[in-house]
Amino acid sequence: MADPRETRVLLAHAEDPALRTLDGYKRLAGGYAPLEKAYREMEQDEVLKELEDSGLRGRGGAGFSMGKKASFLPRGEMAKYLCCNADESEPGAFKDRELMQHNPHQLIEGIAIAALAADAGHAFIFIRGEYAAQADILDAAVAEAYEAGYLGTNILGTHRDLELVVHRGAGAYICGEETALLDALEGKRGNPRLKPPFPAVQGLYGGPTLVNNVETLSNAPHIVRNGAEWFRQFGTEQSPGTKVVSVSGGVRRPGNYEVELGIPTRELIFGLAGGPEPGHEVKAFYPGGSSSPVLTPAELDLPYSFEAMAEAGSMLGSGSIIVADDRVSIPHMALRTARFYHHESCGKCTPCREGTNWTVKMLERVVRGEATPMDLDIISSVQSNIMGHCLCVLGDSMAMPVSAMVSKFRAEFEEVMASAGAPLDVETALAAVQGPAETLGAST
Amino acid sequence: MSKAREVTIVVDGREIVASEGQMLHDAAREGDVEIPVFCYDPKLGDPVGACRMCLVEVEGIPKLQTSCSTPVRDGMVVHTRTEQVKEAQNAVVEFLLVNHPLDCPVCDKGGECPLQDISYGWGPGKSRFTDDKRHFQKPIELSPLVAIDRERCILCYRCVRFSQEISEDAQLQLLERGDRTFVGTFDDRPYVAPFHGNITDICPVGALTNYTYRFRARPWDIEQAGSVCTLCPSQCNVSFTVRDEKVKRVLARDNAEVDDGWLCDRGRYGFEMFEAPERIAGPRLRGGAAASWPEAIETAAAGLRAAGGKVAAIVGDASNEEAFMVQQLVREALGSPHVDSRPSRGASREQLLRLAQPNLSAKVSDIDEAAAILVLGTDPLHSSPILDLRIRKAIRRNGAKLAVATERPTALDGGAEAIARYAPGEATHFLSELAAALGGTENVATPLADTLREATGGGADTEPAKVVVIWGERLARDDATDALLDLASALNLTALDGSGLLEIPDFANARGLREAGCLPDAGPGLSEVTIGKPTEEIRAALESGELTGLILFGVDPIRDFPDTPAWETAITAADFVVSFSMHENATTAKADVVLPLETHAEKDGTVTHPDGRLQRVRPSAGRPDAVRPNWHVLSELSAALGHETGIDSQPTAFAALTAAVPFYAGITDADIGGRGLRWQDHAEATAVPSPEAGAPSERFAREEPNAAGASGTTPDRRVASEEGAPASGPSLALGTYRDLWAGPITELNPPLKFLSPQQRLEISLADADRLGLQSGDTVRVSQNGSAIEATVSVKERIAEGTCFLAEAVADGNANALLNGGPVRVEIAKVEAGA
Repeated sequence: MADPRETRVLLAHAEDPALRTLDGYKRLAGGYAPLEKAYREMEQDEVLKELEDSGLRGRGGAGFSMGKKASFLPRGEMAKYLCCNADESEPGAFKDRELMQHNPHQLIEGIAIAALAADAGHAFIFIRGEYAAQADILDAAVAEAYEAGYLGTNILGTHRDLELVVHRGAGAYICGEETALLDALEGKRGNPRLKPPFPAVQGLYGGPTLVNNVETLSNAPHIVRNGAEWFRQFGTEQSPGTKVVSVSGGVRRPGNYEVELGIPTRELIFGLAGGPEPGHEVKAFYPGGSSSPVLTPAELDLPYSFEAMAEAGSMLGSGSIIVADDRVSIPHMALRTARFYHHESCGKCTPCREGTNWTVKMLERVVRGEATPMDLDIISSVQSNIMGHCLCVLGDSMAMPVSAMVSKFRAEFEEVMASAGAPLDVETALAAVQGPAETLGAST
Repeated sequence: MSKAREVTIVVDGREIVASEGQMLHDAAREGDVEIPVFCYDPKLGDPVGACRMCLVEVEGIPKLQTSCSTPVRDGMVVHTRTEQVKEAQNAVVEFLLVNHPLDCPVCDKGGECPLQDISYGWGPGKSRFTDDKRHFQKPIELSPLVAIDRERCILCYRCVRFSQEISEDAQLQLLERGDRTFVGTFDDRPYVAPFHGNITDICPVGALTNYTYRFRARPWDIEQAGSVCTLCPSQCNVSFTVRDEKVKRVLARDNAEVDDGWLCDRGRYGFEMFEAPERIAGPRLRGGAAASWPEAIETAAAGLRAAGGKVAAIVGDASNEEAFMVQQLVREALGSPHVDSRPSRGASREQLLRLAQPNLSAKVSDIDEAAAILVLGTDPLHSSPILDLRIRKAIRRNGAKLAVATERPTALDGGAEAIARYAPGEATHFLSELAAALGGTENVATPLADTLREATGGGADTEPAKVVVIWGERLARDDATDALLDLASALNLTALDGSGLLEIPDFANARGLREAGCLPDAGPGLSEVTIGKPTEEIRAALESGELTGLILFGVDPIRDFPDTPAWETAITAADFVVSFSMHENATTAKADVVLPLETHAEKDGTVTHPDGRLQRVRPSAGRPDAVRPNWHVLSELSAALGHETGIDSQPTAFAALTAAVPFYAGITDADIGGRGLRWQDHAEATAVPSPEAGAPSERFAREEPNAAGASGTTPDRRVASEEGAPASGPSLALGTYRDLWAGPITELNPPLKFLSPQQRLEISLADADRLGLQSGDTVRVSQNGSAIEATVSVKERIAEGTCFLAEAVADGNANALLNGGPVRVEIAKVEAGA
C-alpha cells in the first residue's frame, strides 16, 4: 500500500495486478486516453512543446531535459528511431523494473507519445536480459497494444505508424550507455560511440534517434493528459515532477518510493524507508546510484533534487539511494564499487580500462592491509586521472564515488591499512555490504 | 566533391590554415604541431577516440577534447602543452603502461615503436604501478605469418578496424571486455586473408610482428629503401628493409595516388624468393652449365645471328627501359618486327591509341570520388589486389555504387548494387548489350545500366557524377576492346575529369611495355612500325619453323600462357631460345642461353602504372655476384649483334626511352621522384598520337557473338545472367582465372607456400546435379585431347553451363586446356582407386 507521504503518479494502482492488462490500464488509470488525444487532436509540435514546457528531466542519470532532447532531432522525411533504455543496471537502481512490471502500458503509451513528438516510426525497448519476467510482461502488453491499434500502421486511423520491438540485452552494464545501447541493438559489440555525433543526429542505423529512460517515457502520458502546468506543480523549479526513488542498503523498508522531487532526503531514508536498523546510524549514502559520490549524514537534510545534489558535489543520477550504516567498512564499499565498474568496463578507452583495473588492485591491497599511505594518494590521483578523460561516463562512475570515499573517510582507510598484522578475508568482508534488497512482490 | 572552406585556427599560438571539417589532429600536424595519438589514423576511417592520448584544450570547452575527433572551426584556439593537457597525457601514458610488459629489449618493435616514442615524449617518465600485470600466453600464431603478443597490446583498435573496415574480411575481433579484452579471431582460427600483413605495419606496439622478421634486425642495423613492388599491376609503393645488402622486410610506403598506404601479402612476404635456391645467379648455357658473361653473350649473339631475322621476342616482367631495349634489339639489331608483351591476343594499335587518350583514362584516386564504379571482366582482388581495397573504400566512405560484370563471381560481389554474369567468351556480346541498355533497350544488362544511371543521374543542383570503369585485359583477349570503347562513349566517360577507364592488365608493367614499344603493331610511343606477329602467331610460327629464334624476357609461357602443350612444342621446336629469367622454370630448362635477371629490389628503372603514372624502381638490395644490371646485358648483347645502343647506364637508358616515346619526353628522374608522375599530367601529354576519327564499331567488323552461350540464373536476386537455353550436352563453357596465390611467387617464398592453391573445378549447383558431382569429388577435365585433374567445388554463385579453373597452379594448370578461343570442356568423375 502506498505510504501517504508518497505522491503516486507513475506508481498509482501499482498494487493491482489488473493494471498490467490493457483493460485494467484503461479502467484503473484512464489509459490510452492521452495517446488518443495526442494522435487525434495534437500536432507533433504541440506534443513536443508540452513535453518541453513540462521541464521533465531525464530519469536515467544525466537529467537532461527530455523535450529539448526530442527537439534536437532533425525534421524531414527520413528513418527516425526511438529507443527506450530499459537496461537498468546501476547498482541500487530498480525503479524501472517495477514500472515495467506493474504498468507496462504506461510505458508503451509514453513511447507512442514520444515517438509522435520525435516523428519516429520505429521504437525499441532495450531491456536488460536479466529482466526476463518484465520482458515477458512487456511482450504481452505490446501484443495487446498492437491488437488494439495503438501500435502498428495507421494508429487510430491516423496516417501515423509506429513499430515497437522489445529487445532483450545480453548482460552488460555498458549497454545502458545510450550509444553502446545503439551498437548492441545493431548487433555489434556493445561499446560506446564517440559523441558527437549525438544520437539525436546520427543514432541507430545512422538515423536520428531519441533515447529515453523507462521512467522518463512513463511520464509522457500524464503530461499530455494533464498539461505541462499540472506537471510543474510537483517538485521544484529546476526539478519538476515526481520521481520513483529506489532506496536500498542499510534501511528497514527498502523499496521504491514515488515522491515529489525536492523533499528532504532525510524524509526518504528515515520517513519512507524506515531508517537504519535500531541501534545503528547512517554513515554514508549514495544519493543517485553507485556512481554518485557518497554523501555523509551532515547532508541528510538536503532537498532531494537534481540541483541540490549537484551543489553538494554529487548527483541525483537515476534516483537510487544506497544507505551504508555504521557497520559498513567504507574501504570495502569502495572496493566493491570499484570491482563492479572494473568488471563492467568495456575496455575501449584507456583511462577507464586501465584505471578501474589499477584502482581495484590498490583497494585490494588496502583491505588486505598491504598498502601504504602513499597508495591512498595514488588512488586519489588515479581517480582524477580518469575523470574527464574517458570516452563515456563509466570511468567517471567509478572515479567519482571512490574519490569521494577516500577524501571523506581517509581516516578509516588508514585504520584498515594499519591492521596489517591480521589481513582480512576480502570476500567475507565484502559480504557485509549487501546489494539492493529484493522488492518485487509475490505477484511475480 | 566541392572544395572545403578554408578556416584559420590557432594551435599553441601558431596560426594554421585548415579546411573546414578537418580533424584538429590532422590540421595541427599540417601546421607542424604534433599531437600524440595511437588509435587514430585517417586512413582507417572515422575516429574511434579510444586511446585518449590526443586530448587537447579547446578554448570555450571546459573538458579536454580528443583532437582526433574534433573538427576544426574558424577561429578555434587550441592548446596542446598546457598543464592540464600535460597531466592528461601523462595519465594516459601511465595507464597504457600499466599492463604493458616493457620488454623493449627483446621486442622487435624496439627502436621504431610509437609507444616508446610517445612515452618518451609525452609520458611522466616513471610509473607508480606496482601490482601484477596481466598475462597471456605469448607469442602465439595469429596466422602462419603474423605472431601476436597480447601482453604488449594496448588495445588501440587499429588492427581490428583494418580487418573490419578496410579489408572487410571481418576476421579480427576484440574478445572479452575491460582490461581482459584481447584481439583474436572466432574460435582461435588462423587469420588468413590477402591483406592481413598490413596489421603489422599499423600496430603501434610490438603486439603484431611478422614471423619473417622476428629477431632478424634492429632499427639501427637496417636501412629503409623506397621503391615500387612490381609483382602485380598495382605497383604499390614499398619500402624495403635492408640489412647487409639483403631484403629482410617489405613495408607499405603510403602513396595516396597508388596504394593508399596498404600492401597485399604477396608484395609484403614475396621477398624471400630473391634468395631462393631456384634463383638464377649467373649466365648458363643449355644443360645448365654455368658460363662466363662474355661466353654467354657471345653464344646468345651467335644463336640469334644464325636465326637470321627469324627471331621473335616476348617481354613480361621488365622495366620500361628494359622493354625499350629488347624491342630495339629485335627491331634494329636483328631486323625482326616480331615483338609482343601479351600472353595471348590483345588490343590493336588503333584501339590502344583510343584507350591512351588522356581524357578517357581514370587514375587510381578517381575511384575515391566516383559516384559509380563498373568492374568489367576482372576480379581486382586477384589481379590488382590493392584496387579491391580502393573500391571498398569508395563504397564505404563515399557511397559509390558498384556494378560488376564478370564471368566468375568476384570478391566484390558482396558490396555490389548490381551484378551480371556472362558466359566465358561472351564478353563482347555482353558489353554491347550493356551499351544498348544504357541507351534504353531492355535486356540482360538492364539492372547494371539502371544502377549506373541511378548513381550518376543526381539532381541538377549536384555536381556531375563521375564513373570509373575498371576493366581487365582479358576483355582485349576476348576481342571486346571495341565493345568496351563503345560502352565508354555510351557512358560519356571523356566528358568529365575524374571519369574514365582504368585497366587491370595481365603483366605488372603492361602499360610500360606497350608504351616502350613491345607490341607487334606499334613501336615506342605507340608509333607506327612494320607489323610483326603477336604472341599467338609467334608460337604458331615457331611450331611451323617460320620463326626459329626466340627471346623471352621475364616470361614463362609454358606456365603462364594459354595452351601449354602448344607452347612446349613451340619452344622445343625453336632452334635457339634465349631466356632472361630470375628463377628456374619449365622454359629456362629448354633454353639455349639463360641470362639472369635482377629482382625488383635490385634493379634500377622506371615502370608505368596502368593509369599512366611513371614510377621509379630503385636499387635497394645487392645483386648476387654474377648478376648484372639488365640494361648492361641488353646493351652488350645488342653490341655483340652489331648494334651499338649507346646505353651505358640507367640514366642513358631512361634518356633513350624518353627520347623515343613522345609523351614521355622531358620527364626527368626528379619529376618522377618518390611518388611518380602521370605522363598525362605532364606537359607533353598531347604527344600521344590521335586515333583515326569515327566510332570504333563503324570501322571494325565485329565478330558475331559466339552462339554457344551458356546460361542460367543464380539465386542472388541482384545477379543477372545471360539468357538462353541451358547447355544440353555434357560439355561446359570453361572460364579461367589467375588466382592471387597461383604461380611461382607463392612457391618460391617459403612463408607463402601454405597459400598455394590446389586446382578446383568450380561448377554450378545445377550442373553438379546433372553430372552427379559433389564438392570434393576428383574429376578429369578434358578438351581436345588435353586433360587435367581437379577437385570439384560446387558454388551457388556460378552460372549454369559454365565452369572455372585456375591458371598457373602447380598441378593441373588450366592453361593446358586453353587454345586462345572459347573452350568447352568435358568433365568425367575419377572414381577413387581408379
